Formats: sequence, C-alpha cells, structure tokens
Amino acid sequence: MKRRQFCETLAGAGFLLGASAPAGLRRALAFQDTSNLSRIEARYYKKLPDREIECLLCPRLCRLGDKERGYCGVRQNDGGIYYTLVYGKACSANVDPIEKKPFFHFLPGTDAFSIATAGCNVNCKFCQNWQISQVRAEQVPHFNLPPDEVAAAAERNRCPSIAYTYTEPVVFYEYMYDSSIAAHKRGLRNCVVTAGHIQPEPLQDLLKVVDAIKIDLKSFRQEFYHEYVRGDLQPVLDAIKTVSRSKVWLEIVYLVIPTLNDQADDIRSMSRWLVNEIGPDIPLHFTRFHPMYLIKNLPPTPISTLESLRDIALEAGMNYVYLGNVPGHKAENTYCPRCRSLVIERFGMQVKAISMTKGACRNCRNPIPGIWD
Amino acid sequence: MQFSLFWLTVALHILAFFQVYIIIKQGYESNPAGVLLGPDVDMVRGELYLDKWMNTSKVIVIKGKGVVGTDAGLDPSKILEMLSRGFRLLTGASDAREALGRIFAREDRIGIKINTIGGRRISTRPELSLSLAELLIKNGWPERNMVIWDRTNRELKEAGYSLSDRPNGLKIFATDTSGAGYETEIFAHRNIGSLFSTIQTNFVTASISLAILKDHGLAGITAGMKNYFGAIHNPNKYHDSHCDPFIAELFDSKPIKAKHKLSLLDALIVQYHRGPSFHPQWAEPCGLLIFSLDPVAADAVGWRLVEKLRSRKGLPSLIDEGREPVFLASAEKLGLGRAGSEFIEVLEDEV
Repeated sequence: MKRRQFCETLAGAGFLLGASAPAGLRRALAFQDTSNLSRIEARYYKKLPDREIECLLCPRLCRLGDKERGYCGVRQNDGGIYYTLVYGKACSANVDPIEKKPFFHFLPGTDAFSIATAGCNVNCKFCQNWQISQVRAEQVPHFNLPPDEVAAAAERNRCPSIAYTYTEPVVFYEYMYDSSIAAHKRGLRNCVVTAGHIQPEPLQDLLKVVDAIKIDLKSFRQEFYHEYVRGDLQPVLDAIKTVSRSKVWLEIVYLVIPTLNDQADDIRSMSRWLVNEIGPDIPLHFTRFHPMYLIKNLPPTPISTLESLRDIALEAGMNYVYLGNVPGHKAENTYCPRCRSLVIERFGMQVKAISMTKGACRNCRNPIPGIWD
Repeated sequence: MQFSLFWLTVALHILAFFQVYIIIKQGYESNPAGVLLGPDVDMVRGELYLDKWMNTSKVIVIKGKGVVGTDAGLDPSKILEMLSRGFRLLTGASDAREALGRIFAREDRIGIKINTIGGRRISTRPELSLSLAELLIKNGWPERNMVIWDRTNRELKEAGYSLSDRPNGLKIFATDTSGAGYETEIFAHRNIGSLFSTIQTNFVTASISLAILKDHGLAGITAGMKNYFGAIHNPNKYHDSHCDPFIAELFDSKPIKAKHKLSLLDALIVQYHRGPSFHPQWAEPCGLLIFSLDPVAADAVGWRLVEKLRSRKGLPSLIDEGREPVFLASAEKLGLGRAGSEFIEVLEDEV
C-alpha cells in the first residue's frame, strides 16, 4: 500500500486525524525510509567476538551488539560490521558567512558552504540545533550530497571554504573526511565546528585534511559536562591541545549560560589554562545564551556578564577575546594587541572593514595570527 | 466488675485480631495454590486484599507445556490458553472476559507495544502479540481500537509482522508510518527530554508493554519498562550508566505512566547472555509468560529468571558482571512498583 492510501485509510477511520485528534499528529515529523540511509563501513572501530563491536571514534567508546546503534544515533552495528548511516546524506546545506561559525581569524568576510547530517555524540541541554542533532538518522529529512558534489557546490557558490557544522561533524567523520579531500583538490579549505569530543587517533587523521577547527568548550568543570552536556571535559581539553600543536587554525567558543557556567573563578582558571597550554593568541569567543531545548527557564545572558568575563580573560593574558550574539558590540571587533588599533570591524556576522596588510596590523605592523587569505 | 469486663473484652478483641492475622499470614505464606481461601477465584481475591494490606505486588508466571516446538516454532492455541490462564490468576476473575474487564475499559484504545529491534528470532513473537489481540477481540474489545506497534515498519516486518491499516481492523504499524510520527514538542521530565510517538500520546488510552525478556549488555536486562524506549525518538541518549535512571524516569513520564496498564513479558525463549542481540547458544526455550500490573515487579521477576538461567549454565550473575539492573531500584524509589523480592508474590502455574 502506498503512503497516501495508508494515510487516507487512517483518516477515513477517524483514527489519526479525527476531530478529537490533537494537533500533534497533523504536524508530526516527516520520516524518510531507512533504506535511504547510507551503508558505508565506518572507520575507527574494533570487531569483538559474537558480532559485537567497539566504536573508537569518540570517548564514549560505545560497545554495541548486533543491530544496535551508537549514542550518536547515526552509526550502527549490523552483523558485526559497523556502518555510518549518514555518509553523503546531508540534512542541511547553506551558504553562511564564516563569522557565523564563528571564525574571526579565518578568511574573514568570506562565505562558507556549510553542511551537516543528523546526529551528535553529546546531548547538551541547551542545544541550539536539537531538531537535527538530537535525532536519529532517519528522523530528519535528508538528501544525497556525496563528497564530490559538496566540493562542487561550494565552488559553484563561490565559497572558499566548506564548514562542517550545525550538528556534530565527528559523528559524520567519514563524510567530512572525504569531502575535505575533495575540497582540497579544488583548492578550497575546510573548517570544522565541533564540541571536540573525539578520540586522539581520528583527530590526528582529521588534522591532515582540514584547515581550521572551532571547539566549543562548554565549561571548565567536569560536573557541568556530566550534568548538562552528557560528556567529559578532559577529552575536550586534550583535543584543544592537540589542535593547537598542529598547523590547523584553532578558535574556542564558550557559551555563557547564566548561573550554570558563568562563575568568574572558572573563567579565570580556564583563561590561565589557555594562556599556559595553548598560548595567548587563540581567539576566545564568549557567546550569549538564549533559552532553548531543555533549558528554557533561564534568561538570556546579561551583556554585563559577558563583558566582565571578557575582562577576566583579557587580564589573564588572552589577546583576542570576543563577544558573540551581541550585534554591534565593540567586542565583536579585532584590535591589535600591541597598538590597540581596530584591525577588523564587524557588525553581527558582517565584516565592515579590514585594516591589515599581509596579516599584520596596518598601523604598527604587528602580525595578527590567523589564516587571512 | 464492670472494669474487669471491659478489659476482658479488649483482650479478646486483640487476641481475635492476631488469630485472624496469623491465619491469613500462614495461609498466604504456605499456600500459594490457594487452599486457605478455597477455589482459585477466592484465593486470588484474597491475595488482592493482602496486596493492599501488605503492599505487595503480584506476578503471575505461566508455563506453557510444549508451547515452544523443537524447531523453536510456537503453538498459538497454547499461547491463547496461557494468556487466558494468566489473566484470570492476575485478576481473580472467573473467565478471561471478566479478567480483561478488570484491567481495560470497553472504550479503551489499546496499544500493544512490542519490541522488534532484534529481528525475527529475538523480538516479541507475532504468535504472542496476535494471540493477545485475538483474546481481547474475542472478549469484546473492538479490533478497530487496537494497535500493535513499535518504532519502525522495517523492524516490524523483519520481526515477522504483516503491516495492517484496516480502518475497522486490528492495526499493526510503527511510529514512522506517514501520518503518525513523533510529537514536535519536547517532553521534559527529570533527566528525560524526548519526543514521544504520537501512537502513544494520541491514539492509545491503555498501554500494554508486551516486551521480550532478554539479557542486555548495559541495562542488565531489557523487559517491560525498557520496552518504552521504543516510544521515544532518542533512546540512544539513555544508555549511559546502565540506562539508569533513564529507564525509570522515562516510565515515570506522564505519556507512559498515565497509560500503562499491564506488563506482559515474552519469556518463551529467553536470551540469557550476550543480549540484546540473538545468540542461539545462549537462548533457552523456557515457554513462559510473565504477567503483572506492577511494571517493576514484572521486570524484577524477569531478572530473577535470567539469573536462574545464567546460574544453571554456569555463567556469572549479572551482579558479578557489574550489570545489575539498577534501574529497578530507581523505579521503586520513584514509587513505580516493587523491586524487592520480599514484596513480590510470584504465582506459578502450568497449562
């Protein structure tokens, strides 16, 4: 029976769409046939006896029996072979300003061809994209977009980079990896927006094919990670260190949630850790929280809180500390740490002016770290 | 004189009270077959009274002699007999119609939530769920008000079910059916934040968890309570820390707790090791069905059965393997039912 007929029959029975049926049924999520999912063998897993496997992609190390799916919801053990279900199955594809990611020291003022598939390997209670990240592969509409076509589409849209973003790119690792290679062949760059919850080996391999990574550091406390992220802090700190020691450009974002992760002492500790372990030149973005998903009982972050946390980070020695989701604030701009000149002026996600020459402050010639062209 | 008579009367009353209590208690402990209270029906009624009095939960275990054939095939007529017997013992009714009437209202739209994630050999057997539906239909519940359901139509088909959408017939379909789907608003409760199947939220008014009992690598066991993981969109998010407290808290959510009426565990063939996947070398044809109105007690008895099988086969207990089904204690703390064996009365019978 075809879907349409089935639906009509149910409606005829007064079953699902009857007068008393709540609106929920009528606005239910669309589904895609699970046979439309990919069946590409995953990388980074170990075969175990009795058709079990252990996923080695992220620190969860999911151990799965036959037909079970990982925490991410997009990788499945089938008969002792582990498959990615979302290879080439994009659920989002857009052209975004690179500042939206946000990257402030990576090709400013350009667009990034931005893609995502369903799934995530953490479960942040404040997720901004939960409708696509906190669902299983078949629960969100998706379309075929193989790696070569991703790169071609980026080129066609005159995007110098591809961003793997919106959900958690780690869970569509194989798709991201192959798309990155395809992009490089066309002279395009790759940037990754991630929570940094990834094992060392796949991260090291990824660093060979991408150009920039933005890591969401969600707190400097393990308890917060446990309670609100359903993940662990240490692997994220390890990932930050690993990326910082590679040639890949790194930026850090910290979403400030009132009362939950906005303690001054934590920000001071985190800033000192960043200065000591990573160096003072990594851009640090404090972004403003808005009520979302499972945290709707808290107000948006007061701008004064963001400003005071920025001051703490600057005092600790960080050179480039930004505020996000506060359009028009001066802390959206880049200032030369030596002469305090304005080197990149921004408004929201738009770059208004760049006063740099060959990656250096036009006023004092001080080099500004980043990938500028 | 009057004073002495008063105290004599008081003493006699106290003595009488304790005599009655001791008789009932002795009968209760020594006589699960119901000698104290006469015929089966009265026995069960008596126990229902004691349930209330002593705050115990009753679990019925029915063994079907020869229900599992040598080729692992099932005998539907025997299953029907087992169901009928189980419902009568569970409720104290004299026949299946009366028994079902004590659990479901005539106007209920009954959802039979099955578990088909494991494929044909380790899912709730169609012979069982269809027999249950048949029993309900035969006893007056309209088939148009009944749905056998799970997460996906693909899994239903792989488990041996034929999808059905007849307007006036028994329905068999999954949440991913066009026109069904999940709610679009997140339902949040304690550590749970999920979209519920609209089959559970909108169609069903009375829910049966018809789960297959099996060993589970993370939760210890999967049975009636965990079966409701198949009623939400993101069960993959609830497998940390032995699925605890997620199993209990999901059950405690209004869309489940308010509608759940019965746990019925398919223990016809039990995967007692290396579950939830199917491994024939650790699958035992037990030929059992487990009934309870208490979802925690049903699962607790299921756990005992799995442990018994493991012990018999020389395997370490789930506790020794660090896989104790801790969700049972969490569920008891939430007041969802009884997990401790001292509060669970198990009645076994064979047909």
